[in-house]
Order: sequence, then structure tokens, then C-alpha cells
Amino acid sequence: MRYYFLLLICCVGALGAKAHPMPNSIILLDIKSNGVVAEVQLPLSELELALGHKVEPGPALRAYLLAHIHPQSLEGYPWTVQVKDLHIQSAAQTATGPYNEVTATLWMEPVKGTSVRNFSLHYDAIIAEVSSHKALVSVRQDWERGKYGEQSSEVGVIKLDVRSGTIEPLVVSREQGSLWRGFSSMVALGMQHIAAGTDHLLFLLVLLLPAPLLVRQQRWDGYGGTRYSLIRLLQIVTAFTIGHSITLLAGAAGWLRLPSQPVEVLIAVSILVSAVHALRPLFPGREAWVAAGFGLVHGLAFAGTLANLQLDATRMGLSILGFNVGIELMQLIVILFVMPWLIWLSRIPAYKYVRVTGAVLAGITATMWITARI
Amino acid sequence: MKMRTIHFSLLAIIPAMLLFSCSKKDATTTSTTTDSTTTTDTTTTTATSDCSSAANTTAKVVCLAEAFEATLSSSQLSSLVTSYSSTYAIRWSNLPCGSSCRNGLQYSSLSSTQLAAAKAVVVAASGTAANEGYDEITQIIAADDVLNTASGSSSYGSGIYFIAFVGTPSTTGTWQLQFGGHHLAVNITFSGGAVTGATPRFEGIEPKSWTSSGTTYAPLAQEQAAMVAMLASLSTSELASALLTTKFSDVLLGPNEDGQFPTTKSGIAVSSLTSAQQALVLAAMKPWVNDADSATAASLLSTYSSELSSTYIAYSGNATLATNADYVRIDGPSVWIEFVCQTGVVYPSQIHYHSVYRDHKRDYGNSFTF
Repeated sequence: MRYYFLLLICCVGALGAKAHPMPNSIILLDIKSNGVVAEVQLPLSELELALGHKVEPGPALRAYLLAHIHPQSLEGYPWTVQVKDLHIQSAAQTATGPYNEVTATLWMEPVKGTSVRNFSLHYDAIIAEVSSHKALVSVRQDWERGKYGEQSSEVGVIKLDVRSGTIEPLVVSREQGSLWRGFSSMVALGMQHIAAGTDHLLFLLVLLLPAPLLVRQQRWDGYGGTRYSLIRLLQIVTAFTIGHSITLLAGAAGWLRLPSQPVEVLIAVSILVSAVHALRPLFPGREAWVAAGFGLVHGLAFAGTLANLQLDATRMGLSILGFNVGIELMQLIVILFVMPWLIWLSRIPAYKYVRVTGAVLAGITATMWITARI
Repeated sequence: MKMRTIHFSLLAIIPAMLLFSCSKKDATTTSTTTDSTTTTDTTTTTATSDCSSAANTTAKVVCLAEAFEATLSSSQLSSLVTSYSSTYAIRWSNLPCGSSCRNGLQYSSLSSTQLAAAKAVVVAASGTAANEGYDEITQIIAADDVLNTASGSSSYGSGIYFIAFVGTPSTTGTWQLQFGGHHLAVNITFSGGAVTGATPRFEGIEPKSWTSSGTTYAPLAQEQAAMVAMLASLSTSELASALLTTKFSDVLLGPNEDGQFPTTKSGIAVSSLTSAQQALVLAAMKPWVNDADSATAASLLSTYSSELSSTYIAYSGNATLATNADYVRIDGPSVWIEFVCQTGVVYPSQIHYHSVYRDHKRDYGNSFTF
């Protein structure tokens, strides 16, 4: 789905069109440390027009693509190209009827020791046969420039130069990046993830709601003192951090994979459980363990963001670290903001109403999320 | 994520969340802006004459353009008229992309008085032959209502056509009348009181033929028939010379392809054809050239006729111009016409037509270099 949206965006930008068939090819480049992944999307109708027959994904199509895609260094040394994946997918587009396309994933690698960031792309798939065809080229991922695939940036268009009758190669020239730049963009992504991911915040806040209070006869009672409150708050936050760090590492590194739907449901359940706990103590004194346990679940959701980046070990390691640092930073900002309020409010008797209202609202929200996510 | 956002506001009561909820609240307190578009009081403008006393096409178009301007509010006027520059001149499209790819005022935003005045400008600048000129324009626009009904998509419709003046209409200076929408782009340049450019002009149609209230409409049938007749006159060996080596799923020189004419002409030289065949080549240009006002059309046709010996015709696909990617081109020292059949978008079982008419020397009145 994402690619169709992207395709639409590209075409709106390039051709000012919407809700109209986009007979252009799309080439999305992921700049890796030792080569470039190219995802090539070819409209089936145009490909079949070019080849003059029905198209099936197979050796013939692989050979056709390899004959028409030639990246080379700026000095003229050819890169190697491999077709990693090839399939036809269909997607219904509004007002345009069914739209099918061939998606090919290619691995393009330069001669060892030469730049992956500067090359010329000699490409004429479909265009060689269909003069009106165009290929829009974008960079989707360039980790070292802080680009992790959220949105692609257009590099150029490969098409027939009608004046000369030639198809000129497109020069892809990416500015030098760095590990630091990739790392810091991951920190920003982690912060953004917490700031935008209401459910993670809500879980933490609801768990903290009764933290400054003492338990008496299985009910929340008065204020436990500043020291007591601080220690309990820190215990909960630290436990949550340990929990989600473990699964973030495991998930992002690919050691652990869970489908996202049950994870999302479990996150909503975690909020519901802590909301009930804020009303009546379910697990007094064991909040840290609960925070750690549910932290494991939240970490799995964090990992999903990173797992799809498909980076080499160094960059993945830096991504996990950066992403986690970002999460902790944002969490810290929230805690620093919340703590004085909690400690101040929990001294007064009216805090009961704040706690109960907050817990009930969080409980309702969590219930709705559970329903929506199942 | 959507659910998360909705329920975000529920939490505003938790003091700790106040900071976050504030930004949400700000967004909702934006007051509804009052509608600044007021109905224009047409009584303040003098009753517009039909400008029939104008000396020529340009004088009449300018007279009617000024009458149209007089019906507009100042904000409408500023949308209608742009400065005269290539940026605005080349901003047109054949796609259903509305105002995102076009200048000017949208038909559906005009009052009935304003709309009548706008149409009068386009009529005065257009040819009068049946199925050509303004008659063709009205049918292409009507087809968009057919598409709207058939597809249910609001990106089609007769209200989504735009009129714009690139430069201020005058009988002395240079300005360009732009009119268009889906499948239609009219660009007519006036300079020093004369029509100096009738191109670029895009014409397309889907469905290529339809019946409404007992009348059958096929506004580009004459274009297709004239091209088919031209190709049908070629012998087998002539057809072989005219056949292009590549295929075409659309015209080459559509929007944003200004000045991109091939350095070397392809196909068969018209000079190698008999005079009867040459007459058919000229006849194939007429359905496009006759979209211009009659004086301009006569002048252009005379030019294209005198240049026939240096003109080439070429095609791709089938010479019958009846299936997807059937394509034909006329390329002369001045004239450039492309016509192509494409699989339908709303009616995928039928083909539909795209065509572009350009002039190597007269696009945009030759005001710009590309």
C-alpha cells in the first residue's frame, strides 16, 4: 500500500496528476554500505506493450531487466546487478480500475572500494521499446544521510530525450554521509516514536499515577513521602526501560519476530491492567516487575520500526542504540515534567479524584483500543 | 494511530498531559473563516455588448475578455490574470489534476453571468466548424460529465475547467488565453492585435463516442478519420517507411515537453508521395488547425501546405488507429501533430484518444525559447 501512496505522491509532484493511471515506472533506491538495493516497479500494461506479449515473472523477465539496467561508476566501471526478487502484484486504484505492476528487487554492487554514493544509472527498461514511457527515480533509504525510508526523495526522471532520440543515463550523486549522522537521526526517530506513540506514554503515566501512594487494606491510601515516591517512580521507569530494551534489541536484530497485531493488542491490555491497578492495587509493591514485563511487549513494537531497515550489523547496532537513546530521552523529558505534578498533587486529598478519573479514562481508552486492534 | 490520536484528548484531565493536549486544543479552536468570495454586483458594470463591432478576432477577444473581467471581484481578477512569463504560459495539462496543474478561475466557482462572459471569450477565440473549434470544446467538456457519472469520481466534471489570461488582454501587447481541463488544453497567444500562436493545444476524449438524449457525440472522430484516410492511402512499402521502430502509449510532446521536437524527422517524407496523398496529409491537419478562428486557421493551413515538401508522416502500431498504442504523427518545419489510441481509463474495454497539436515556430507565439 505504501508504495502506491508513494507512487501517487511522486506523480502528483512530477506530473501534477491524481486519480489517473500512472503509467510510469518507479525506481526506489536504498543506499547501503557496500551496494544499492533498487526496487523497480513496472506497470504491467506498459511492460506488456514493450515486450509485445503477456508477461510472467520468470527467467525471461529477469534476463530482460538485466539487459536494461546497467549502473556504472562515474569512471565507467560497470556494477554487478542481481535480481533478488520478482513478482506481479495488483492493487485496485480509485477511479482507474485494476492496476497491475511488476515489482523487481535488485542488488547493485560497485567494484570493491569504489563509491556506492556516486554512479550513473544506465536504464531503459520499457523506455527502449515504448518512447512515451518514463521512469521516476527516488532515493528511499540512505541511512548515513539520516534517511531511513519514511519518505523518498526524487533524484530524477529517465526518459527518451525526444530532441536527440537518446535515453540519457541518470547520475545519482549522494552527498557524503556518516555513521554519526545515521545514529543521530535514529535518536530523533526514537524520540518522535514516544512523542507520537500515545499508547506507550499512557501506559507509563497510568502506572505512575498511584506510585506515590501507600497501600492500606488493599486500597490506595495517603501520600508515602517524597523519598518513597521518587524511589518508586524511578523503579518503575527503570524497569520499563530494561524490559523494552531487551525486546527492542532482540526484535531489531531479528532474533525475535512477532506479528504486530497481537503486540498492539497486548500493549492496549497493558494499559487496561495498569488502569485497574490505579483504581485498586492489584500488584502493590510489584509495579516494577509489571513494568518490566509489559516493557518487553512495548519493546517488540519499537523493534518493528527498525527490523524493516535491513541494515548491516554495524548500522543496525547503531540504529538500535540510537533509537533506544531517543526513547529514553523522550521518556526522561516526560517523567521530569510529570514527577513534580504527581508528588505535589498526591499530597492533597483531592488527588483521589484525579487518580480515579485518569484511571477510568485510560481504562476506557485501552478498552476501545483493544476492540479496535483485535 | 488514528485511534490513538482521537483518544488523546480524553486524557487532558490528567494534569501531566496538559502540555500535550494544549497543542491539540489549539488546532480545534481555529475559527471558521468567513467566506470571502462575495457575489459580484453585476449592475455596476455596463451591459456588455457582444463586441460585434470589433475589427478582427483579437479585438473581439480582447473586448470580451475585458467584459468578463468587469464581472469579477478583485480577488477573482487576480486569480484570472497572471504576469506574462513562460512559467505561467506553459502551466497546462491534459490530466484531471484541477487547479494543481493549471492557472486561472475554475468554471464551477463562477456565477452564471460570469460563466457566460467567460464562455464568450473562448467562443470568440475558437473556430466555428461542426465538431471543431468551440463545438469540439463543449463536447470534450460534456464527456467529462459522462466520466463523472460512469466512474463516480469527482475529479471529472464540466465544472473543473479553467480560464486564465497570461498577461493582460490587449490589442497592442502580448498575452495568452488559456482554457482547459481534463483532455483539453487551449493556448492562444495574441500579440500586437493579431493571433501569433494557436498552440500548444491538447485534445483528448473518453469515451470516444457516446449518446445523450438521442444525439451521438464523437468530437474527435474527424481527427481519427482524417489520419486513418491519410495512412490508408499509403502503399505497403510506403507504410513500411512510415512505421516507427518504437511504440507509443501516449503523445511525446504533451504538457511540460515544450520545444522538444526531434532534431531529425522520422517516417516517410511527404515529398515522396503523390499529390492526392499529399492532399490527404493536409486534410489530416485540418481537424486540428480548424480549431483556431477561421482567419488564423486559413493562414496556418497555407503555411503548412507550402511546407508539405519538408513534412514527414509516421505511425506506430496499426494504421487503422483502432487499438491501444496505435499512433500517428505529422512533423513539418512548422506543424507537429500526434494522435494516439490508449486503453480507456474509466471504460477499459474501449480505447480513448489523446492528441497534441504544436507548431515548431509558433507555440506560445514564439515568445519563449526552450
